[in-house]
This record gives sequence, C-alpha cells and structure tokens, in this order.
Amino acid sequence: MAVSVETSAETPVEPMPESAPKTAPGVRVGGLSVVYKTPAGELPAIAGIDLELRPGTITGVVGESGSGKSTLALSLLNAVQPPGRIAAGSVEIDGLGDVVGLRGEELRKARGRHIGYVFQAAQNSLNPLKTVGKQLLDLGRSHGVSDLRALVREAKELLGRMGLDGARVLDSHQHELSGGMRQRVGIMLALVLNAHLVVLDEPTTALDMITQATILRIIREVHEERGLTTMVITHDLGVVAEVADRLAVMYGGRVVEQGPTHEVLATPRHPYTRGLLGAIPRLVGDIDEARALPGRPPTLGTVPREGCVFRERCALRMDVCETVEPPTVADGPRLVACHAVEAGGAVREESA
Amino acid sequence: MSDMNPAVALPGGARATLRRNFWRGVWRVLKRKPSRMAGAIIVLGFAFMGVFGPLLYPDQLPRDDNALYAPPSWAHPFGTDFEGTDVLALVVTGAQYVLLTGLVTAVITIVLGTGVGLFAGFRRGRWDSVLMRITDMKLTIPGLPLLLVLSTIWKFSSAWEMGLVLGLLGWGGVARAVRSQTLSLRERGFIEAARGLGLSTTHIIGRELLPSMAPFIAMNMLIAVTGAVYAQVGLFFLGVLPFEANNWGVMLNLAVFGGGALTTTAALPYLMAPLLAILLLTLGIVLVVDAMDEIFNPRLREE
Amino acid sequence: MIRGTGIVKTFKQRGSVLAGREVKALRGVDFSIEKGGAVSFIGESGCGKTTLGRIIAGLETYDSGEIVIDGTAMSALKPRARQPYFRRIQLIHQDPYSALNPTRTIHQTLHAPLALRAKQTRRPGSWIDTRAAELLSLVGLDPGYVLPRYPHQLSGGMRQRVVIARALTVDPEMLVADEATSMIDVSLRLGILSLLKDLRERLGVSVLFITHDVATARYIGGDGDMYVIYRGQIVERGKVETIISSPVHPYTQSLLSAIPVLHGLERPGEQRVVPTEALDESKSDDGCLFARRCPFSTDRCTSEIPLLARSGGFAQEHSCFYPERRNVVATPLEAA
Repeated sequence: MAVSVETSAETPVEPMPESAPKTAPGVRVGGLSVVYKTPAGELPAIAGIDLELRPGTITGVVGESGSGKSTLALSLLNAVQPPGRIAAGSVEIDGLGDVVGLRGEELRKARGRHIGYVFQAAQNSLNPLKTVGKQLLDLGRSHGVSDLRALVREAKELLGRMGLDGARVLDSHQHELSGGMRQRVGIMLALVLNAHLVVLDEPTTALDMITQATILRIIREVHEERGLTTMVITHDLGVVAEVADRLAVMYGGRVVEQGPTHEVLATPRHPYTRGLLGAIPRLVGDIDEARALPGRPPTLGTVPREGCVFRERCALRMDVCETVEPPTVADGPRLVACHAVEAGGAVREESA
Repeated sequence: MSDMNPAVALPGGARATLRRNFWRGVWRVLKRKPSRMAGAIIVLGFAFMGVFGPLLYPDQLPRDDNALYAPPSWAHPFGTDFEGTDVLALVVTGAQYVLLTGLVTAVITIVLGTGVGLFAGFRRGRWDSVLMRITDMKLTIPGLPLLLVLSTIWKFSSAWEMGLVLGLLGWGGVARAVRSQTLSLRERGFIEAARGLGLSTTHIIGRELLPSMAPFIAMNMLIAVTGAVYAQVGLFFLGVLPFEANNWGVMLNLAVFGGGALTTTAALPYLMAPLLAILLLTLGIVLVVDAMDEIFNPRLREE
Repeated sequence: MIRGTGIVKTFKQRGSVLAGREVKALRGVDFSIEKGGAVSFIGESGCGKTTLGRIIAGLETYDSGEIVIDGTAMSALKPRARQPYFRRIQLIHQDPYSALNPTRTIHQTLHAPLALRAKQTRRPGSWIDTRAAELLSLVGLDPGYVLPRYPHQLSGGMRQRVVIARALTVDPEMLVADEATSMIDVSLRLGILSLLKDLRERLGVSVLFITHDVATARYIGGDGDMYVIYRGQIVERGKVETIISSPVHPYTQSLLSAIPVLHGLERPGEQRVVPTEALDESKSDDGCLFARRCPFSTDRCTSEIPLLARSGGFAQEHSCFYPERRNVVATPLEAA
C-alpha cells in the first residue's frame, strides 16, 4: 500500500476511512465455547478453546468434520449463526478489542476492514449475476469507502500480484472464471479493504493439485508482503504443512495439540495427531506403514460430555481419560492436551 | 418376489416392521406441529362428510315454506335457502359430488402426469421429445373456454364425468415437473448403480425413483384436489351446468344472483356456508401438504 | 480382462449459449487391465479420467474405439448383450451420499441385486439374507447394526463401505473406484483404501483407481500400472513406483511437484516443476497439448504431435519430445 496513515486504534474517522492499523494484529482466543441449540438441548461445538495467533504468523487449524474448526473461524468474526451462539470466552484482536462484545454496525465495520474472511468454497460464493467489479464496488460502498477509484486500483494491483489480469477479472462474471481464479478473487475481496487479519476457511478444497499449489504459494507470498496475521482452516495436513508457521490440531471441539508446524509434524505428541499423520499415504517411504485410525470422529451429538474426547479411538487410553478432561500442558512452544503424554513426560518417538 | 416365500422369515418381517415404522413416523410428523394435526383433522372430517354425508339426511331434504332465507338459528345454523331448505344440510350432502370430483381429478392428474413424466424423463431421446410436445400442446389448450364449450353438450351429471374431464385437462403441469425431477434424479449415483447392477427398469422406476418423488407427488395430488374443487365450483357458479340444489357452486350462484347476497344480508349465510366449506377444505389441505416432505423423507421423519 | 483401443469421446454442449461447443473428453486412449491387477488413472478434474472410468463400467457410451472384455469385442454385440459383460465391472462412486437411495434401508438396497443374483444362480431365497450379512461383514460392518438403517443414519465411511458391499453383490471381477475417498474424513480414508486393497488380495478383484492423489494410488496398487492423463490423452504410463520415483513427462512432474511437502518430515524435491498458468488452454489443440503450460516447450512442441511410446531408454511410456528425469518428489528427512 502506498497510502499508509498510522493512527491509533480508535473508531475510524469518516474523512479518512482507510485508517485501520497497518500492522499485523495479534489475536488471543480465551476459553471460547460455542453451543448449538438442538432438540437434544444445547450442545458444544467448541469448548474452552485457548489459541493465540501471533502477529505476522500463519496459523493452520486442522480438523476433520465435526471438529469445530469452521465454528472457530466464524467466532473470530463473531459470526456464529443461530441456532449457534458464543456461550463463553473472548476473542481479543489488537486494535479492535474483544470481538465477542461487538454488535451491529461496529461488527459489520470490523468485518472487512480489520478481518478479511475467505469463505469455504469461495469458488461459489460470488454473485453469479454481477461482475466481480460490481461486487467490489458494492463492498466498498457498504463500508463507506469514499475513493472508489483507489479501491479499484488496489483490487487490480492485488489481482495482478496473484498472477491475474486485474481489469479483465473485474469485468468478468463468476462463470467466466476458473476455480483457482475465483479463489484468488475471494482473497482479493478479503484483503482489498486493507484488513490485516485474514481467515481462510478450506482455501483449496475442490481445487486441483497444481492450482492448490499455486494458491498456497500466493497465500504465503501475500501474507508476507502485506504483513498479515493469517489463519488457515483445513482438513488437509498437507495444506498446513505447506503454508503454516504454527499448527493447531482440533478434535471434538478442542485444540488437542499445537506448536510450530515443523516440530509438530516431526514429533507429534498427541495420539490423534500421530494417528492422523500415520493414516496419510505418502509418496515416499514404506507405504505399508500407513495405518488407519480406528473408530470415527465424533459429531455434535456424540462428543463425550466428560473425560477426553479422543479416548474412544485412543491406543494410550487410561482410566483417568474416562472422567477427567486432559488439561493443556505447555512444553516450550508446544501445547498438548493428553493424560498419557503428561504422565509419560514427553513421550518422544516411542511410536513406530 | 422371493421374500413372499414363507421360508424367508426375516425380509417379510422386516418389511412389516418398516411399514409400522412408517405409520409411527407419520404420526410423529403430524404431532410435531399443531397446525398439521388441525389440517389432518379437517381433511379427515371432509372425507367423512363426503362418504357418509348423504346418509345423515333423507334423500329429499325437507323444505320449510315458511322460512325462506331464514337467518341462522339453532335449527338452521346457516339459515335456509330460497326454498326453505337447511343450508348446512345442503353443504353436507353436496360435499360428496365436490370431493369425489376432486379425488377423481387428482388421481387422473397424478397417474397420467407421473406416468408421462417418468417415462419421458427416464427414456429421454425421441420418446421424451414426442411426449413433451404433446404435453406442451395440451398445456396451451385454454381450460375454461373448453369446459364452457363442453358443458353445452355434456351435462356432467356424475362426479366421475366431471373429474375425468378436469383430470384430462390438468395433468400437463405435473408431467413437466415429474419429467424434470426424473431427469435430475436419474443422474444420481444410486440410480446409476442400480443400472450398473443390472436391476430391471420396473425396479428402478418403482422402487428407486418413485419413492424419491413421493413427497412431490403427494403434494401435487393434494393441490390437484383443491384445483378441481375451484374449477367445478366455478363452473357451476357461472351457471353453465345444470341445476342441483345441493351443489356448492350452484348455491353460490343462487345466493349471489337469486338471493342478492351482495346487496342484502338475508342471503348472506346462504352464500357464506359453501364458501366457508371451500376455504376450510383448502386450509386443511395446505396444512397437511406442509407435512408431506417430512413424511416421505426418512431422515426428516425419524428426527 | 478388459482392453480398450483408441477410445474417443466428445461431449457436445447443449443449451442456447454454448450450443454446438465441443469438449473433447478423450482423444484416443488405449488401456488394458489384467484380472486381479491394479491400475490407477491420475489427472486433474476435467482431464477425462472419470469419463474413461464410466466408459469402462459401461455407464457411458464412446464415439469410436473398441473395448474387449474377456476376449469379446463389445462392438460386435448389441447394447443389451453387452450388459452382462459390463456387470462384471462395478463403479464405486465418489459421493457416498448420493450413491445410496435415501428412502431405502441398507437391507432393501442390498436385497434387490441379491434377489436378482439368486434367481440367476438358482439359489434359494434364504441365501439372500445370509449373503447380505456376509458381504457387510466382509467390508467391515456389523450387519445387525447396518441392515435396518437408512443411509442418513450412517457416517460417510460406513456408507462407502455399504456402496462397496452393494457392488460386490454381483460378484464383480473389477471395481472402478472414482475418487472413492475424497469425500470421506481424513482419518477414515485409509480404512476404505485398505479395504479395496484387501478385496483385491483376497477375492482377486481387479481395482481401477481413479484419483488426483498420487499417494493413495500408490497405496492401493504399488505393483500396478499408473496412467497419467492430461486433457483426454495419456501422457505417461508405467509402473506406479517408476512414475513416482522418476517421472519424465513435464506434466507428471508438475503434478508431483504440487503435492504438499510435510515440512519437518520431508525435504522437497530440488527440481520441482511449476507449469505456467493457462487461462484458456482449451483453445489450442495443435502439437503437444501441454506445450502452452510447459516450462520446457520449444517450437517443435507446438507444431508436432508427440505420441505415447517408450523412448529415451526410460522404463515407462511417455509422450514428450524431451523426456528427462527430474527430482521433483520430496524425500524423507529422518534417515535415523
């Protein structure tokens, strides 16, 4: 960005709408719980999540269906839709405060200006009847951008940065763009209002391998060039391995393990992380070493109410796992929530 | 079917259990919303009226020459008509014709529409083109003028005839809709799998396709009933069909043109009674239609 | 058991705007799958691999070419007479959610094809239910739990197992698994894959595995053949391990380069190939189809058509004028 006005984090002043803080914000999620109302009562989709997104890093959140990863992403925007609601906890974003407390107009302004969100299946989230440019202008108007020309210029620049012909893309309708191009349009729309916190929900699902590699490279590059704090939500460990600095593994609505990506992948500690890594067929090494995880991931209704959420499928299961939810224990930059790991000190590399 | 063989205990038993579960599911779905219950009761009430209504009154309804256009009273809740006959009795005994017409129309509409639509959608190609051209041609025939012309030569004295004509006029829309549903369903994995497994076309259409369309067909059937009721009441109201004292449409006609219900209050109850009956029947059907999706979808039914 | 030569398939688009536009799904493809063998088709979406799989399963027609099943040429038979041949080849759909009829219980779903089978083989009616239970156990499900249930009451992984059990009702000689695990949770995928592998080993069923994921193809049939398909043509064909360890076609290399590297566990290959992006690649049909995206293409590539053949002393067949081994695949880090 050429125009960069450093102001403190007060409410944006009208004549100078581009006055969001220009540095990557940190995010601290504390004790966050989200419940969904069902015929069987209110069930927790995520329970007591503590997670820190450090300024300027890419955090990858990995989980299977029902792990609560998408709910977590929505909570960052305070955008959990009924029948769900945030039951407890806070989401502190630098320069914005606790998002959980925001309402109405403030919240709407925050989305887009502070937090850019690239939706799951962004490939299909564009309006099929309007050109990308029209949708960009709609976005600008709804956020009270006074200089729409500058907005368009910025959008073209971003698209150009991602390897597209900006003018042509802005003139296109959704159906004229390929999946990878739409995904880039999604990223552009998330960044064009100069948000410095970006949440990408399954950014490469349904994309081809080569396109996926391109998008992941772009995410990484744009992240660095613009100085963002980025969160990538995915079910694919490979995606996280490619882009993320830190990795958080979710299971049954909890973060069961987190730490620097390389370390977690090299020496996974939580039995679920280990099982998940072991269940992925790899291109190299002994293919017959791959082992399926027994059982299946829990759903909203089948998550155990007490004790460890993973115990049903766990090889290291102990008596205490039945009744007591394992606390998250820190070891340097790594955090693990597992009784067996805690009991065995750091159970390093004893698994085959 | 081989499972009719008494030696095979399980499948027969399983099927009976399924059927029991189905009705239990229907009950559960109805109970879920009071409005559906009300709808079901209304529809059942009309069905009862249609079947047993005429048995409740003598063949020749009594007239009271001293009470023409009598106001509502305990003896005559909706007053009397121009001859002094009890209006409620007219509505109740008239229900049979109306409802039977509706039923016949609905059955013909659904059988023809579903048959043509399924066949066209499943066979595709030439059959599809030919059948759809016929359907289109049929859809372009204006129904009301045709009925008016027909009524000059045909008196529709029985509900069966009336229903037959309305049904033959009404299946086009259903055929088109069923065809498009079939076209999209036949691309679904389970239909393709059935073809790949070498299952017969009868099985694929009867056991795989039709049940998936059941809610849609049931809804259309109920809506066809209301359509038929409107159409024939309309015809009788216009006065193009012969006079029957206890026909809802004729009653409306007489109330408006004979009793002057639009200008004086005397004939108002006479006008309101059949109107209310039609409204109530429509309401009942609309409320029940709401439950169809859940009744025929196992997932929604069980929840 | 099945062999195809020169299979061509062109889809004509309908509708007012795109009417008359043609999409060449397959441009003359040869294949052959042995009894009990494992073959994988690798490629991106739209490359024609799914169409080819559907043609092999008898669910799609082809414009020209010949398919021979167990020595019988399909062109010599009337469509009806082909059915018993294609019934030996069963397709496992990608989407286990639409592959099962939501209005029918698993018992009903399995009963229909088994009843037909019982009639054909003159077995008593009682065989049907025994067999249904047997098949469900074979695919790792509890018949007592699964049989009375509707599809929506089962998880994605269980459904896919039911789909496989249903395919087995007709005692097929070959299963065509089209992205059979892509819609299933990551921790459950390997279960389905090892089931397919197991069926191949225990029942001698051939498996044709269609996927974009090279690693899963390696898991299913490490000893089998791999076909790399690009825009309706085979660009490289050979043993799975050969192609993964020493790919020679730039497209194969691009695909393998795009596979995410598990940093911390693996070191990326040093010569990763990144193809240029084609914005409207379908326009050019001259020369090598990959030439416009290929970082190594020359004038010859855009004018001359390379044919699939074994050349340059490589173990696999390829269709590139300038085949060259490149080190694109990640290597494991810990030797310890």
